[in-house]
Amino acid sequence: MTNPEQQHLTTEEIELWAQGLLGAARAIHLADCTLCREEAGRERKIILELVQLPQFAPTAGFADRVMSRVKIPTPSGDWEGR
Amino acid sequence: MRRYERPVFSLLYRMVRDRALAEDLAQETFIKVLNGIKSYRPEFKFSSWIFKIANNAAIDHLRRKSLDTLSLDGSPAAETPEQMRATAPQLGDRAETPLQHVENRELGTAIERAIARLRPEYRACILLRHVEGYSYDEIAETLDLPLGTVKTYIHRARNELRGYLEDRRE
Repeated sequence: MTNPEQQHLTTEEIELWAQGLLGAARAIHLADCTLCREEAGRERKIILELVQLPQFAPTAGFADRVMSRVKIPTPSGDWEGR
Repeated sequence: MRRYERPVFSLLYRMVRDRALAEDLAQETFIKVLNGIKSYRPEFKFSSWIFKIANNAAIDHLRRKSLDTLSLDGSPAAETPEQMRATAPQLGDRAETPLQHVENRELGTAIERAIARLRPEYRACILLRHVEGYSYDEIAETLDLPLGTVKTYIHRARNELRGYLEDRRE
């Protein structure tokens, strides 16, 4: 059976490494493995660009516009628009 | 709802790249969520359920859009060359509207343009993974895809993004 420490990094582990979150045992493998270091190096830049993407906001009053079109249940169990 | 307003709008905006349309789809999403809250199954993560509805709305729109072929010959009802010319879309002669200006500023960076070139399925995976911080399992659940497919899509998406960004730099 292959020693886990000798297995190449998965896509998820490369993501963790790019964000400085990779565990020590796997970091040791990365330090020793040329293949993994090359792949991780290629992935790092794009991952960092992606995780820094901003979120956008809809225009003001968005929630109110949604709520005005939602049916609210009444105590009798019927639905009414707001 | 406010908690999910920005994430849902951001996903839809990046999927369709049109602010007004993304807002319409986001409204449609939340109305479906709130009106259909009784059909929500608690074993499913609530945010995954919302993103599933939002992503379906975006994919439906993109499919419909791909079917609507824009004819450069004008209206299908046009019968004479004059009518065809009169109803043909005018390309390149419209000034940028304020909304288009905002869209160009928000989605005009190299990485945003590269994301726009990805297939919609890749785009949804990469946005849920890196913007929303979803795990691979959560993405699979949200998009109704096998886990292996999600991993493949994300890996390919990042390779394509790298390629697009390198093309630009060359």
